[in-house]
Amino acid sequence: MAKIRVVHYINQFFAQIGGEEKADHKPEAREGFVGPGMAFNAAFGDKAEIVATVICGDSYFNENLETATKEVLSMISSYKPDLVIAGPAFNAGRYGMACGTVAAAVKEQLGIPAVTGMYIENPGADGFKTKVHIIATKNSAAGMKDAVAAMVPFALKLVSGEKIGSSAEEGYIPNGIRVNFFEEKRGSERAVDMLLKKLKGEPYVTEFPMPDFDRVPPNKAIKDITKAKIALVTSGGIVPKGNPDHIESSSASKYGKYDINGITDLTEATYETAHGGYDPVYANLDADRVLPVDVLREYETQGKIGSLHRYFYTTVGNGTSVANSKAYALAIGKELVADGVDAVILTST
Amino acid sequence: MLIITNNQKVMDEADPRFERYFVEGKYEEVLLAVRDRIHKGHRLLTHPLSGSVKPGQTPYKSILISKEATELHLESLQIIEDSIRVYSTQTKNQAGYREEIQTAAAEDFREVDARLFAGALESAMRAAKPMSEYKEEAKL
Amino acid sequence: MKLEIGQIFIRDIQFDAVSRIENNILYVNTQELKALLLEDEHLASVDFEIAKPGEKTRIIPVKDVIEPRVKVEGGGGIFPGVLAKVEAVGSGRTNVLKGAAVVTTGRIVGFQEGIIDMSGPGADYTPFSKLNNLVLICETVDGLKQHAHEKVVRFAGLKTAAYLGRLAKELVADEVKTYETPSVKEGMLKYPDLPRVAYVLMLQSQGLLHDTYVYGVDMKQSLTTMLYPTELMDGAIISGNCVSACDKNTTYHHLNNPVVEDLFAKHGTELNFVGVIITNENVYLADKERSSDWTAKLVELLGVDGVVISQEGFGNPDTDLIMNCKKIEAKGVKTVIITDEYAGRDGASQSLADADASADAVVTGGNANMVIELPPMERIIGHKEAADVIAGGFDGSLKEDGSIVAELQVITGATNELGFNKLSAR
Repeated sequence: MAKIRVVHYINQFFAQIGGEEKADHKPEAREGFVGPGMAFNAAFGDKAEIVATVICGDSYFNENLETATKEVLSMISSYKPDLVIAGPAFNAGRYGMACGTVAAAVKEQLGIPAVTGMYIENPGADGFKTKVHIIATKNSAAGMKDAVAAMVPFALKLVSGEKIGSSAEEGYIPNGIRVNFFEEKRGSERAVDMLLKKLKGEPYVTEFPMPDFDRVPPNKAIKDITKAKIALVTSGGIVPKGNPDHIESSSASKYGKYDINGITDLTEATYETAHGGYDPVYANLDADRVLPVDVLREYETQGKIGSLHRYFYTTVGNGTSVANSKAYALAIGKELVADGVDAVILTST
Repeated sequence: MLIITNNQKVMDEADPRFERYFVEGKYEEVLLAVRDRIHKGHRLLTHPLSGSVKPGQTPYKSILISKEATELHLESLQIIEDSIRVYSTQTKNQAGYREEIQTAAAEDFREVDARLFAGALESAMRAAKPMSEYKEEAKL
Repeated sequence: MKLEIGQIFIRDIQFDAVSRIENNILYVNTQELKALLLEDEHLASVDFEIAKPGEKTRIIPVKDVIEPRVKVEGGGGIFPGVLAKVEAVGSGRTNVLKGAAVVTTGRIVGFQEGIIDMSGPGADYTPFSKLNNLVLICETVDGLKQHAHEKVVRFAGLKTAAYLGRLAKELVADEVKTYETPSVKEGMLKYPDLPRVAYVLMLQSQGLLHDTYVYGVDMKQSLTTMLYPTELMDGAIISGNCVSACDKNTTYHHLNNPVVEDLFAKHGTELNFVGVIITNENVYLADKERSSDWTAKLVELLGVDGVVISQEGFGNPDTDLIMNCKKIEAKGVKTVIITDEYAGRDGASQSLADADASADAVVTGGNANMVIELPPMERIIGHKEAADVIAGGFDGSLKEDGSIVAELQVITGATNELGFNKLSAR
């Protein structure tokens, strides 16, 4: 049987081109293995072989995400691999993002099995664990040997089309897909063991992590709403007509801040939604349906509220990552507090 | 207290002191009818996923809510939303019984739903809650 | 309270003219047993079959599984308040027919669930494939309502188990295990340095076909209360639960509660096992609040350091589980919960109907929605027509050759929430 053809993706550092000063290194391909590829190649034995290594600087990749992905992908596909290995990236954040992007793109766009490896706290792990298998590694390159030992058999399993077991058996970072398997001990004994560890304050791993709620306790009620300064913030994508800041229709990478001083009504001619996740017809006809400027102006005039804040903030909550949303909220919140806003009406879709 | 049900047996047999509303439709529509009322401030009094018969297996569902609507009760909302989520997971890919099976066992499904619900109604009648909590308690 | 469990290992069951146990073989005179069971006028007929490990046999639909036991010394009798008079059990000596079980089948309702395969891939998921089973196929008289039907089949199973258990009353046990629970005060003096642990056992109590009885009391009408662990071993808790085959606790499970067993295994060395708190899983939400308040109060009153909480059933009980966990953790007592999952066939959906951040130590019995293919069997015991219903939802799930494509939830005991099995998920 012919050997499985493997292409390995690594960054400038592991290719021994250089550190941060060489992080803008453009993608290049070399035949055979480079750097950590040697260990992989050895572990593959007679089953597989690294036919080429694609190298890219971390800054170049992350700052030119679309073009770099395209370049790397076309280099990879030119070697007609049966399998792609990216990294492992350990705890290097930008390298992790690159490995995740490459591995996921290989899997989705080229339809070729791909696997990468990262430390669980690498931001790339959070970003890509549901898209591609990421083998859990230690947090530094000192864990290379273990990473290779875990990634190689898993990668071969992926290529063979064998059934992939649970994260606990295979060593990948849990990806939200629950897979059954037989433990060595029965559940009751595992429960007693877990309780003893919990009682002693020793680390233990829950078999089912509760969903991450991130609940926010509600603020104290506004004492006198007729004196309060109220702001509007939305994830419904309402923007001035033409979307001047080009907020993306999904996975928004930014939020917008727009002046509504003197505006009493959002009309079809002046506002629209940038959101790509719902039927925009009714929002485009009358954006007040998502961002109720008209009603708040009326209330302002009638003295039902103190005032409407001069700016509204907007982003698109369509596939936008929790991390990004949190960052936007933090920045927006700071400004609102600085501007003396008492309350915020948050609208979604 | 108000019964929301699509089970004729519950309509016919539940204690006459409970008001009732019949939903012409499936299990899911009962959940949605309850959710709509919770949005309006009614409180959930029985668990929407009563019984281990899975959604998609039994077509029948009966749920008790408060007759009076006050302010939005967040715990009620959480439970009904979770229940709707579980309903959709468990009915995805036709995970339940085929319709002819549901029809053949319809009387049994109605009976189990009605009996489980009757047990809950007994608890409701036994329960002595402060009048301030459910003002309609006196007349159920 | 101290109980000795005398195990008599049963390696085979055979029909014979005289019921007895000889050389670890259980011989059953079915005529005599039948006459005993047919004393119940609601039972029209009863048939017996034997299902052994490794056979190409499928039992369907399974109602309950019961281990035969007999009281040799000490107060009360097996299944107190139900078959024996109401008298506290859990002390003295009890003999057990280890390796044997009574399995009841009966179509109480049109959607009766539960499969036990004695071999093949399905056998790996049910603990009862490893036992020598005496299967009862019960037919009731016409016109019996569902609740009466359930009771008839429940009692037929219990009576059979008691009948077989009596055969072991005079026997010398192959192995004796001793379980002892000191009083709270004695335990504290005896093990001053060990963490004190209680077990919170949640019992299915929603109503028709979802009932559990404790000393004969319908658990939905009981407040949360306490038992000595050894009381379970004498049948203080019995199952009237017929729905959700994979995660209902059969009477066999209650008799052999694995959390009790595994807490006893470390009792006196790594922990001090204080006792069992039993609580219910009712439909009425205020009942849930009351019962979980009560559970947390008893935990607090006992002053334990940690608890294991186990669950029974699907959906509604998730809310009780989380309430119990949350309220106990709020008292500063550490918890581990045992549950199972309904994460969808693809495993991608949220597994539980309820959740809370305080439930940070969870043991799972696996995803009950996982699809499994059960090959055809040579012999079907029970009610063949139930197979079509059990296979249920989708076309082609019951094939012409008798093989079944269905979710794991159809298999009796597959994702048990007492932690009886090794199956898990990540």
